[in-house]
Formats: sequence, C-alpha cells, structure tokens
Amino acid sequence: MIEADDLTIDYGSSKRKLRAVEGVSFRLGQSESLAFIGPSGCGKTTLLFALSGLITPSKGSVKIGKKKVAGPRRDVALILQNAGLLPWKTVWHNANLSLVLAGDYPARNAQDILEELGLGNVKSRFPAELSEGMKRRVGIARALSISPSVLLMDEPLASLDTLTREKIQDLFLTLWKDRGFTLVLVTHDIEEAAFLGQEIIVLTEKPARIKGRVSNREVGPLDYRQSEAFDRTVKALREELER
Amino acid sequence: MKQVLIYICSIIFLLFLWEVASIAINTINSSSVLPGPYEALSQVVKNGAELQRHFLASAWRLVMAMLIALVAAVPLGLVIGHERSVDTFVSPMIYITYPIPQVALILFLFLIFGTGSATKVAIVAIVLFFQILVSARGAAKNITEEYLVSVLSAGANRWQVYRHVIFPATLPSILTSVRVGIGVGIAFLYIAETNTAQGLGLGSFIKRYMLFGRDRAFAGIMAMAFLGLVLYVGIDILERILCRWKYVKR
Repeated sequence: MIEADDLTIDYGSSKRKLRAVEGVSFRLGQSESLAFIGPSGCGKTTLLFALSGLITPSKGSVKIGKKKVAGPRRDVALILQNAGLLPWKTVWHNANLSLVLAGDYPARNAQDILEELGLGNVKSRFPAELSEGMKRRVGIARALSISPSVLLMDEPLASLDTLTREKIQDLFLTLWKDRGFTLVLVTHDIEEAAFLGQEIIVLTEKPARIKGRVSNREVGPLDYRQSEAFDRTVKALREELER
Repeated sequence: MKQVLIYICSIIFLLFLWEVASIAINTINSSSVLPGPYEALSQVVKNGAELQRHFLASAWRLVMAMLIALVAAVPLGLVIGHERSVDTFVSPMIYITYPIPQVALILFLFLIFGTGSATKVAIVAIVLFFQILVSARGAAKNITEEYLVSVLSAGANRWQVYRHVIFPATLPSILTSVRVGIGVGIAFLYIAETNTAQGLGLGSFIKRYMLFGRDRAFAGIMAMAFLGLVLYVGIDILERILCRWKYVKR
C-alpha cells in the first residue's frame, strides 16, 4: 500500500549539501502499521514529510498504491507534533479543514467523528480553550474526516502526560483496527513504537539510515502493554538503539 | 461596561491635567495663553455645527486613506512576506522608499495634483501604506511553520494558504499597525489641511483660530483627539470581532 525505495533526501545547495535521510526502503501493506524510531533530530520528520509528498526526495521514490507520490494527496492524512491546529479556527472548523480544502465541506460524517472522539460539546471552542489531550483529538478528527487510506503521524503525542498519552494511544489503536487505514508513525518513544507498530524500523543519527528492524506482529489488543510480547519488543528496541 | 468606565476615568484625569497645566502656564505668563478644558468645551458647544462639518471632512479623509492603504498594502505585504522570490525583488525598493520623509512630498503633491481633498487623502494613504506594508510583510514572514505544513499536507493550493493561514495569522499585527497609523495619519492630515488655503477640515479650522481665538482652536484640537479615539475604539471592536480567538479564556 505504501512503499519507499532507496529514499534519500538532501537539503541545501549542491555545494553545501546536508543529507537528512539516506537509502530508506520499506514496503507496508493495506491496514498494516509501521513505526520509525530514532534519536531526536535524526531526520524522522523529514522522512515522514517525504512520505506525505510535502518534500520531493533527492533520490528514490515513494509509492502509495501503484502511484508515485508527487505531492500531498487527498487520501493521505498527516497528524503533526502539536496537532497542527489553527488557533483562529474553532474545533469544528479545524476538524473540517481538510474537507474544506478538498471542496467536500460540509461532510455528513464530521459531526459523528467529533461525537466519537468526545468533542461534540466543544465544537464551538477555540484551540486555546482546550486541554492538550483534546487538541490531539481534534487533530485526529481532522485526519479521520477525509477517511484516509494512509495515516502519517509525526510524534503525535510528544509533550503529553503519561496517562493522556496512553489514552490517546489506545484511541489510535482502536481507530486503526476499526477503520483499516495504513498507519505510519514516527516517534522517539520506545513504548509508543512497541504499542502501535507491527513493524518497527530503527533509524541512525543524521542522516537517518535504517539501523535495524523489529517485527511486532502481536500488536492489536488494548492490554498489549501488559503482555510478554510487548516487553520483548521494548527490550529488542532498546538493544537496537544502543547498538 | 468596565472598559467604558475606565475610558471615562482616563478622559476625566486628562482634562484635570490639562486644567492644571492651563492654570500654571497662564499664571506664569500673566495672560490667557493656554485655554482650559472648560473654555474649549464651551466652544465645542457654541460652534457645534461648524465643527461638525470640519470633523466629518477630516474623518472622511482619514477613513478613506486608511481603507486605500489597507487594500493596497495588506495583499502586497503578505505576498512579499510569504513569497521569497517576490521579497528578494521588492524589499530593496521598500528599503529605499520607506525612509523618505513623506512630509517632503506634501508640497510636491499639492503642486502636481492641486490642494483638493483627494490630494490630502493621498498624502495620508501614502504614509499609512508604508506602515501597514512593513507590518504585514514582517508578520507574514514570522508565521509558525506548523500552520503552513498543516494546510499544505492537506493539499491546500496557494490561494487557500493565504485564505486559511496567512491572512488570519497576520490580522492582529495588521490591526496593530493600523492603530499606530491612526496617530501618524492624524498628524499628516493636520499638516495637509493646514498647508492649504481656507477649506473644510479640522486642520484648517485649528489654523484659522490659533492666533486670534485660541479657545476655538482648542475646540478643534479636542475634535481631532475625539476623531482618534473613535477610530481606536473602532479598531478595538473590529479586532474583538475578527480575532475572537485572541480573547478567549485560556
């Protein structure tokens, strides 16, 4: 469903080239999940932006379905680190922004998504009036509003307290299982990668190269954190990162 | 309501300071050099009809100049601030033309276009244009990257980026520059109106009575201050409506 082949991304001019990502390849099927984990500033976000079509790779390619990604696509949703909410738009207008941009507004399912995410009674509020957890849920609502086939997430739960983070991780997992989109997550949190990624790719320091891969096929149940398989994955990831 | 009370208290305090200054200056000079607020207010009442005509003429010129400056400067400032290639080409022109003292252009404009109302509006509009242009450009340059990525990743086209991000994000800065521009605009309007022969406008009213009939001239100055106050309050109300998100409880 989403496939990267020898993805390489350079910044700057040809004289002062800065390589952010080098030779990353992977293949992910429909409704599967993949987590990239690596140190802060290693180029994870750049890699995700290339998958979303925001950045054109210097070398290699990204394909979604059978089509090469040449720019942002209407069936790919990106959730940013701080949810990417626009402070001047209400919850309702933030949640519907992708639809407005696509010319599909108003969507029949927008209200249902807000209700499902517990935002039905705050839709006329502005982001500044919401808790951090609620802001992330609005970001999720926006992503889901377009019924994406691929959901890309850039450290979506960074700077949240542990309890809120776990609640929203549970929400991600439930939505992923129910809706069947392909999930690609970028994080520096080992437990988050182990909880959400069926396949986990460990990246090196900049430029981001593939350092190792950990398979984690048992992902799915909400009580997965309490299982031995989860502990094994966390241990394997820790070893891979320290290697 | 509380805000209105604060405004009233501030105005009363200002009038009190004016009265004290008037008594002190007139005592030192042993003559009536500076009229007090009571004398000026009496003249406002006595010359209400005449003052109203001058007030409306000045207000119309100032509001027209502000609208012209906004319509011309905001789109240009936002494009220069956001599009790097345009910025590279246009910014040097701004750096060269902005520091030219616009007051030097007044006589030139009068010579070319005459001393009518349109020239006075043009002078104030030019002054405000540069202020708003520089503010809009700066605000557009400093937009949080995440807001842009947020709409670009959803497939926004260029127009949608301006419509949903750049314009709303920069609106508070633009309104602040308009607020600053009101003071400067009134000052330039005064200069433009006093530089012509008899005509409508608070500037010419003040000039006419400053030497012989200072009470009346100060009534005109009060009217000019009132014009500024009305516009400031107007911009505040506009900001509360257009930028409601800035005033929510956090």
